[in-house]
Amino acid sequence: MSPELLFQQALNGLSFGALLFILAAGLSLVFGMMDVVNLAHGAFYMLGAYVALTVVQFTGSFWLALAAAPVALGALGLAIEPLLLRHLRGRHLDQVLLTIGVSLVIVDQIGLIWGREVRSLPFPPGLDGTVVLIGGVYPVYRLFVIAFGVALAAVIAVIYRRTKLGMLIRAGVEDAEMLGALGVNTDRLFALTFAVGAALAGLAGVIAAPVFGLQPGMDVDALLYSLVVVVVGGLGTLGGAVAGSVLVGPVDTFGKVLFQEFALAVIFAIVALVLLFKPTGLLGRIRIAR
Amino acid sequence: MTRAARWVALAAVAVGLVTFPYWSAAWETSRFATTVLRDMLVFAIFALSLDILVGHAGMPSLGHAAFFGGGAYAAGIASQRLGTDQLPITLAAAVLVAALLALVIGLLVVRSEGIFLLMLTLALAQIVFAIAFQWTAVTGGSNGLAGVSRPTLFGIDLSAPDRMYVLVAATFLVVSLLIWSLMRSPYGRALTGVRENERRMRALGYDTTRLKLSAFVVAGMIAGVAGALSAYSQRFVSPGDAGIGTSVQAFVMVLIGGAGTILGPVLGAGVVMYIQRVLSSAIPVSETVLGLVFIGFVLLARQGIVGLGRAAYARVRAP
Amino acid sequence: MGGFTKMNGLAAKRGYTYRLTRRQFLVASSAAALAACAPAAVTPGASGSPSAAPGKELKIGQLLPFTGVYAELGNSMRRATELYLRQNDQKLANRPVKLIYEDDTNVTATGIQKAQKFIDQDKVDVMMGVVPTPLAYGIRNAVHEAKMIFIDTNAGGNALTRDTPDCKPACKSPYIFRSSFSSYQISFPIGDYLSAKGTKDWFLAYANYGFGTESKADFTTGLKKNGGNVTGEVAPPLGNADFAPFVTQIKNQPTKNVYSFFSGADAIGFIKTWNQLGLPAAGYKMYGAGFLTEQDVLKEVKDLANGAITSLFWAVELDNAENKKFVADFQKQYPLLPDVFAVQQYDGMRALDEALKKLGGDTSDKDKFSKALEDVTFKSPRGDFAFDKTTHNPIQDIYLREVKTTGGQTVNTILDKIAKVTDPGK
Repeated sequence: MSPELLFQQALNGLSFGALLFILAAGLSLVFGMMDVVNLAHGAFYMLGAYVALTVVQFTGSFWLALAAAPVALGALGLAIEPLLLRHLRGRHLDQVLLTIGVSLVIVDQIGLIWGREVRSLPFPPGLDGTVVLIGGVYPVYRLFVIAFGVALAAVIAVIYRRTKLGMLIRAGVEDAEMLGALGVNTDRLFALTFAVGAALAGLAGVIAAPVFGLQPGMDVDALLYSLVVVVVGGLGTLGGAVAGSVLVGPVDTFGKVLFQEFALAVIFAIVALVLLFKPTGLLGRIRIAR
Repeated sequence: MTRAARWVALAAVAVGLVTFPYWSAAWETSRFATTVLRDMLVFAIFALSLDILVGHAGMPSLGHAAFFGGGAYAAGIASQRLGTDQLPITLAAAVLVAALLALVIGLLVVRSEGIFLLMLTLALAQIVFAIAFQWTAVTGGSNGLAGVSRPTLFGIDLSAPDRMYVLVAATFLVVSLLIWSLMRSPYGRALTGVRENERRMRALGYDTTRLKLSAFVVAGMIAGVAGALSAYSQRFVSPGDAGIGTSVQAFVMVLIGGAGTILGPVLGAGVVMYIQRVLSSAIPVSETVLGLVFIGFVLLARQGIVGLGRAAYARVRAP
Repeated sequence: MGGFTKMNGLAAKRGYTYRLTRRQFLVASSAAALAACAPAAVTPGASGSPSAAPGKELKIGQLLPFTGVYAELGNSMRRATELYLRQNDQKLANRPVKLIYEDDTNVTATGIQKAQKFIDQDKVDVMMGVVPTPLAYGIRNAVHEAKMIFIDTNAGGNALTRDTPDCKPACKSPYIFRSSFSSYQISFPIGDYLSAKGTKDWFLAYANYGFGTESKADFTTGLKKNGGNVTGEVAPPLGNADFAPFVTQIKNQPTKNVYSFFSGADAIGFIKTWNQLGLPAAGYKMYGAGFLTEQDVLKEVKDLANGAITSLFWAVELDNAENKKFVADFQKQYPLLPDVFAVQQYDGMRALDEALKKLGGDTSDKDKFSKALEDVTFKSPRGDFAFDKTTHNPIQDIYLREVKTTGGQTVNTILDKIAKVTDPGK
């Protein structure tokens, strides 16, 4: 591999990793707070992309879609938590199973409402061009994805460390029951957490749509990738989601190109390897394995 | 009903099940019903094997299709590569491969619990799927493994649909009985003990990790048997057999039917397969229906159909 | 008459006519004999032969995907079926048609069982459809053993109409016909044609699954015939989301002519990334099997695909009377353009219709039925249509097409034609 090629592929890997971060951040947040792995996360991602498609069709504005989809998904999350998950509080495994059902319903409804054709979202004007970097031109949009991922991580970090909400989240991740005992309205907090998680999935769906397109089955891929990221990085912490994305994005990119015969197995092999040597994931505190 | 009467009734049901293609021959729908029932029973075996983990050992796995698919491919490839249709050989290959896969994945995940176990099994099973999908020279890749031959046993050719069915139904009975007695043995009780309180079992001197790993391998082997039966029945193995959809399907069957019982997973397999394979021809059944049914059971009837039945029975008996 | 058939069905259900014959065929040992005599065995007790006699209802089983990634193909093929029947007064030859649709849900096991339902339960007179090649391979033996006439209206795997060692993964059958194409037909001729024109060095990019690798192999054979040469390749897994890593590889190697095999979402991802990474400006040129630039793709990527040269046996713009009528009628019925899948299905219906006319609607003798289909020829929207008598794969013209945008419409314009391409199967 020439240095130019190496550089370009590294950028490809980083922008893919940035997208994975946006996708996995919500999953990680919900897990950290509620001890629930939301297996409908991929379905939320898919729904976000399709909402964006409709918004772009009617208004022509990608930026409006980027705002509307997370709002719509947040609203859905705000409804699902009290309607379904709350009844099973404390029964984490059952809550996870419930999300399988939610995912089946959402994905099927998307097929009925939007059809099952393959679709694509145009790149937003202004970001559809290229810039000259080492080794030739590079798409602006992919640089935008990197910037967006970094900015989102920064915003989440600030909220985490500097605001009351962040304080509650940090406390909740440590011990959600104790928060309730201290008089915090955990019902509201959990509903809000789940809504934010869903909104982040929707956001990832919009960001990914121009690059990856829209089609049946995209939910499963997104779910698998986000699970891999949080397991590899470490569950329930922001740092873990960042570390997982930064590792998985480039490794997947290089892996696919260098080991084409095993392209599909590469990321899952990373899971096995990381857990073998670091049972908590890279930056996690909870032992996932062993 | 006395104990003896119950056994007689069960035996009658068993005989009726195995001989279904013969006594139902009068029906116009017999031939098709036989293939549907055959596939239901294959999945019932698969769901029963998953329930060893989910219901008995308390180890929820979303990667069980790895062993089903592994067994199916092993049986198919063994018959093609070795040029044999001897059931003992191809079935042994399936069980062996499934056991090895279960051992390897089990070693990685067995110390994990609950949600973590769910995620890890999901991710690691994808490696098996990826191999099935991409290792074209051996597995046939995305095109699947076509033209798997149906087996012979002691010189009896089992390729006719009726005989194929009898093989599946008989295996189903053997597996059910095996799991039933296994779960009532000291081994099964120890497993239940691990599910209820692992720390206590450890304090009592049990090597709980080994216990769980052995359950994982046993469940994997039985799933491998189901996979082999699927390969013979369909005469085809698809990478999807090892995929996430198949894992989720089995999990849904166990949960809907009722985990931790023998009847539950069987009923669950029956209901899900009936919806997908039969009802879907008559009315448009969607994933939405299946999803809503599943949500309903998780929310309101976590013990599944069997749990609902027991509750109803209890109400009738004690007014 | 409807009531009468229903009564027959009832009698059979209660076992009046079936029990005896059933015992008889328990004696028969082989599954093939069993399956073959089943429909005939039911009927003697009932009046005549309701499923085979002329003028009686003709049952067609359509095995198509209506959910999952191929759902839109299934919908399109259903539209074509219904358009053909509407144009022909809901009849084929002299027989009113009953369509039975089954959804394979993109799960092979489900598809295999639905085919079994057509054979055992519905006892259809003919079976059509099947989108994915694995499913076609998976049902091949059951169909063959039941002597069920099956017209494959999409799945393009080469083996289905060839003589293969041990019939693995599949092989031709007297009862199986194909109204679509074999992957050879959309890959070998363009390789042959382009290398003969003087372009010798090629880089390959293809979806790494059965159909992609088959297409790539046939293209390469075509190239080598005229001294062409493959300088390198990338093979993303099927359903790969991010094409940037692969297109980046293409961009960092010197061979400018790139032959690709992608369809659907993969094709959209490939074409968009190709442009994003500036390959047209860097002098790279895109070639491919026709599905790379079919309607489902073009309507999403539009002029981004301009300049791509692909080969297929049809194009919406094809200038012949049958095609003009087909496209116009289709658009009158449905608010969209027909696609290549619709043509395949439409031709399947036409072939069936022509064969039935020759048989006077009598489908009872499956070997005669097969012979009648072998002799069918007609003018299709794609040009002259005929089955290769030895393989049952169509003999058809292959068109070289270039994507152009004129007046806001992005279309495949016809550049050249390779006449009467026959699959080399024996």
